Amino acid sequence: MSNLQSLVSELHAAIERKQFDVANELLSRSKRALLMQNALIPTSSTPPQFVVLARQVLELGAIASIRQTDAQLFTRYYQQLQPFYDLERHAGLPGQSSSDIDFSTSQRSKITGLYLLLLLSMGDSAMFHTVLEGLVEEASLKGGRVEDDACIKYPVELERNLMEGSYDKVWRETKSERVPSEDFGLFSNVLVGTIRNEIAGCSEKAYPSLPISNAKNLLFLDSEGAVIEFAKERGWILRDGRIYFPVEPEATARSEKDILVASGTVIENALGYARELETIV
Amino acid sequence: MPAERRSLRSNNKSDTSSSANDEKTNSNSQSSSVKDKASATRAAANKAKSASTKKDANGASNDSMGEHDQSHTNGSKSTDNSVNGSEDVEMGEDTAGAPTSSSNTSKDRKSNEKMTVVVPPTKGSRSSANDKEEDVTMEGVEDGDVENTEPEVDPRTKAIQDIKSNFTLLERAVAHFDPRFTLRVLRSISSMRKHLTPEVLAEVIVETYSASSSTASFLLEALGQVNAFENAPASSQMEVDSDKKPIPKETLAEVDAYLSILVQIYLFDQREIQKGAQFSTSLIERLRALNRRTLDSLAARVYFYYSLFFEQIAPLPPSPAAAVTTIRQPLLAALRTAVLRKDVDTQATVMTLLLRNYLSTSHISQADLLISHNPFPVAASNNQIARYMFYLGRIRAIQLQYTEAHSHLIGATRKSPASQVARGFYQASHKLLVVVELLMGDIPDRAVFRQPALERAMHPYLLLSQAVSVADLDAFLNIVNTHSETFRKDGTYTLILRLRQNVIKTGIRMMSLSYSRISLRDICLRLGLDSEESAEYIVAKAIRDGVIEATLDHEHGFMKSKEVGDIYATREPGEAFHERIRACLALHDESVKAMRFPMNQHRLELKSAQEARERERELAKEIQEGDMDDEDAGGDFDAI
Repeated sequence: MSNLQSLVSELHAAIERKQFDVANELLSRSKRALLMQNALIPTSSTPPQFVVLARQVLELGAIASIRQTDAQLFTRYYQQLQPFYDLERHAGLPGQSSSDIDFSTSQRSKITGLYLLLLLSMGDSAMFHTVLEGLVEEASLKGGRVEDDACIKYPVELERNLMEGSYDKVWRETKSERVPSEDFGLFSNVLVGTIRNEIAGCSEKAYPSLPISNAKNLLFLDSEGAVIEFAKERGWILRDGRIYFPVEPEATARSEKDILVASGTVIENALGYARELETIV
Repeated sequence: MPAERRSLRSNNKSDTSSSANDEKTNSNSQSSSVKDKASATRAAANKAKSASTKKDANGASNDSMGEHDQSHTNGSKSTDNSVNGSEDVEMGEDTAGAPTSSSNTSKDRKSNEKMTVVVPPTKGSRSSANDKEEDVTMEGVEDGDVENTEPEVDPRTKAIQDIKSNFTLLERAVAHFDPRFTLRVLRSISSMRKHLTPEVLAEVIVETYSASSSTASFLLEALGQVNAFENAPASSQMEVDSDKKPIPKETLAEVDAYLSILVQIYLFDQREIQKGAQFSTSLIERLRALNRRTLDSLAARVYFYYSLFFEQIAPLPPSPAAAVTTIRQPLLAALRTAVLRKDVDTQATVMTLLLRNYLSTSHISQADLLISHNPFPVAASNNQIARYMFYLGRIRAIQLQYTEAHSHLIGATRKSPASQVARGFYQASHKLLVVVELLMGDIPDRAVFRQPALERAMHPYLLLSQAVSVADLDAFLNIVNTHSETFRKDGTYTLILRLRQNVIKTGIRMMSLSYSRISLRDICLRLGLDSEESAEYIVAKAIRDGVIEATLDHEHGFMKSKEVGDIYATREPGEAFHERIRACLALHDESVKAMRFPMNQHRLELKSAQEARERERELAKEIQEGDMDDEDAGGDFDAI
């Protein structure tokens, strides 16, 4: 017990000092200690102190893994934390008697927010909404809204803006000090990359041509040199200080081929109908 | 006038029954005094029994005495009889009305298993309903549906009769190995549940089982009628005397299951949830040991009520520690056994129950995993398929797979029985369907909202789709705020929040259609967006997603719409046509597959075919002979 407690505080310090090697070593030791106590998965017979300690260890592990940008490890920690958070969800519901587990040290909203952000940056919106659905349900049971929690609100708003297409808002969110904590900032670069690619894709379709200076603003790039580099990467044509987006050349040629394919399918379909009709009649 | 005839017939019947009653009660009142004494002596002899049970027994026997007396007086005054009878039925209706209405309003949409399967009465059963006993069964089943018109029959005796007549159906189901008889029994439950009382059930149990049967004591314990065998010999012994009925023979497992379902329903209607849950748990233990195909549909129903009980136990579902989570293990085990035994009914039921279970605690990823690892049986009953599709549609909608969700929900709404009883399900699936349609960028058909079954429940959704269709962002947000309670209750709130972008997209499309050129500032103002920059990005995204055909001019800040091409020059109409034809053909195929043919019909046909062949042979013979004549004639002709 005391051994574990000291391990946790050591772990905390190691992560604060960004000594991740030490932290990883400490993590495996403390997880082993938890396993010996059979406390890595909470059961009804687990003493509350151990539940709290186990949760702390796993949370610290999650934070350490996100700081080392190890998405897989983070996901694993997140999954392991779920049973602990289920206990918390249950206790947080109205009409439930308060249990003797201490939830004040829980970093649930932060971890969940980070997980949402991770899903968002990976583009896994199905999973994102699946997690969110549970959160919304819980929040509405308490009579609140999901957005009441700053850590949850951040990824939720980002997702909404991304889907809507208000990329400038996403940009502002990731840039400024609106990021709820420094760990959330780790995703900013990924997100900016995502929106830049999105904008580039949209611009190709939406504009016939664009002055380089405007493109700099649109793409949130720092200099015109960066724009030129980015344009080359995507294969855009630069002429007279303007970007010309490549027009799809096969637009005319395709229609010819299209007709051939289309007539093929039409004939095939008609034959299919005839065959079916024959079997019916 | 069939109604008149029916009432006449029933009058006759009631007359005879009342006179019979008269006799019976007379003999009863005579015998009951003897019986009372007998039971008292027996109770006295049985020293092992505690005093309280003795008292109970006495009290109960007194009760039964009282009842007999009352029926006796009823019997003597036949005019009174009918009046009393009608009152009885009305009371029965009142008590039955309460649970159904509450369940209509309650969140639990299908709590009372209100879907009824409409299976057309088959030729076989009709033709076989010649002997008198079966006639009675048929009548009994029908009476269940129209009993309001026949208030003269005492509901208690009728219920007992109904239950017993269902036994013969079950026996026949086992003998013929035909699940349709079992289904008919299950269907009659809904009409019978109004009249279920512990006394009725206890009486049936006493008459069906011998006193030493473990099943009987198990059922009676659940009913709180442990002493039924001591109390009720009155009626059973009397029947032995009058009908020369043999001592109850070995009962079928199906009959056990059927009676246990009735007990479950009774406990559920009485809101004895805790007791019902315990009873169901031990019941399932018993059922799992049996491996009989004729038991499948009954077992499925048992699981259904089992899960229903646990849903009502605190802590209630939204909490992750809810009582429902404890039955996941048994349900999964049941699913495994059902799959191994190729028990389609239980498999389908348990699967929908598990999905419902997972979704109630919003464990959506688990539900998704369950679906991906378990194929749903194709041969499942219509109601189970409808439920499955509803849950599947819900999961897919949450996962943003709208096209898939749409097709599943369409299936659910189409398969949902449109009758009064399953209205909750019908509404819920329609609500979800409307939201998914909106999310796909379609505007739902106005006719959906005009259906009488949906009109009131769907009102917020009507407003919502109006707001989306006119692309009024303010009105949309207003509606979401004012009706957020309803939406949360329906579980569509998060889906509706996602609609905001659709409103914007619709707005952009409308502007693109109506203006050949519009400045970004105007777009921004009309849609109520925060900045021109946002508007530019949003329009660019809309162009990329193919919502509109337009180009943007960044320097001058406007959007220029392209000419809309002729849609009939594209492959679109051809594809739509193909899609519809395919749907029609699939419908035809499925209806051919769904046709049912009576079992031994082909033998009849064979017989007639044989006859036809014989006739043909005769004909051929005649023709041959005729040919000869013809030839002769021809020869003559030729000769001429």
